[in-house]
Amino acid sequence: MPLDLPNLPDADVAALARQGRESAYRELVRRYERPVFSLIYRMVHDRETAEDLAQDTFIKVLNHIDRYLPEFKFSSWLFKIANNVTIDFLRKRQLKTVSIEGSPHATTRADAEATSFDVRSMDESPLEEIESRELGSAIERAIAGLRPEYRACILLRHVEGRSYEEIAATLDLPLGTVKTYIHRARHALRDSLGHLRE
Amino acid sequence: MDRHLLPEEIDQLLDGEVGFGTAPLKAHVRACPNCSAELESARVLVRELEHLPHFTPSLDFANQVMAQVHVFVPWHVALLDMVRAWAPRSRAGRTMAWAWAGSIALVFSVAAVFVLTQMDTIIFAAGIGLERVRELGMGALADVTTLVFGNTAAHAVTQAGSAGAALALVILLVAAALAARGLHAVVALPRRR
Repeated sequence: MPLDLPNLPDADVAALARQGRESAYRELVRRYERPVFSLIYRMVHDRETAEDLAQDTFIKVLNHIDRYLPEFKFSSWLFKIANNVTIDFLRKRQLKTVSIEGSPHATTRADAEATSFDVRSMDESPLEEIESRELGSAIERAIAGLRPEYRACILLRHVEGRSYEEIAATLDLPLGTVKTYIHRARHALRDSLGHLRE
Repeated sequence: MDRHLLPEEIDQLLDGEVGFGTAPLKAHVRACPNCSAELESARVLVRELEHLPHFTPSLDFANQVMAQVHVFVPWHVALLDMVRAWAPRSRAGRTMAWAWAGSIALVFSVAAVFVLTQMDTIIFAAGIGLERVRELGMGALADVTTLVFGNTAAHAVTQAGSAGAALALVILLVAAALAARGLHAVVALPRRR
């Protein structure tokens, strides 16, 4: 009788993967490819890079599935690796987060223009057009303007529905810091989106 | 409460925290239009965030990942998977398979019981068979010894019994190995030059 993988909890599927069942590996990828890709995409703002980083995440996790501890949530472990991979990438590339209107540190109009980016320029490639459409809504742009650590916290909390404790474990941050980051992120988002509601 | 809610207190309500601490906050929100509007605005934001869609990677994503994942399948898992793949899907098919496997198991069980009851005969027959094999082996060895070392050596081997035969075999193998090594050295000689 074939295994009923789609209806098994994550820990059981991970256990089957540890036994060497390829179908279990594929099931884990199927379950989490969209959440992991979405989180990374919203962090790096580039579809191709996000796909590469999401692949790196899954390859690391699945090649070390024997290190997974069943007493912890599989998804927390996966998101932890995804976050680490993304933060490493952002550090290496020094891909600083800038708001649509330019860096918050810009003191002159010229500085602000130099550090701003157009969401939709005239010579976009088809892929860039998709990205612009996907990330172009007001709320996506507001999220893009957040600091990476705030962004990771707010996405895990409200898009992935994780508890504060899970986020703290995933991002290796103290619980109080997570609460502060989420509070500040919400505040910043409401500020960014305030003009739309008036 | 004679002041507006602090941002942290708005967050508490937003996260749905319960307890004695939140009762006065809720009471204040009901009475204060400012704080009520503030809380509602925060709730709208949270709702918008919660409705953000998941993006989809390329269709080939899973295959690209799996191409770089090293899946080690232990033999017992592979065997179990093979059995699962062969097992009939329908209930009737499974019943038939069980009946078939049961019949075979029954036949083997009867055969095993029969063999056990005839153990003395089997041991006797096996002893005769083994003796015959030993005689054939000794005969063949004596022939080879006669061919290589002459009649005297063959007679000595036959007289010495099994131990002598084993000794002769070892000597023969050592001699063959030395001869092969010598031949190899002779063949390699011109190449070294």
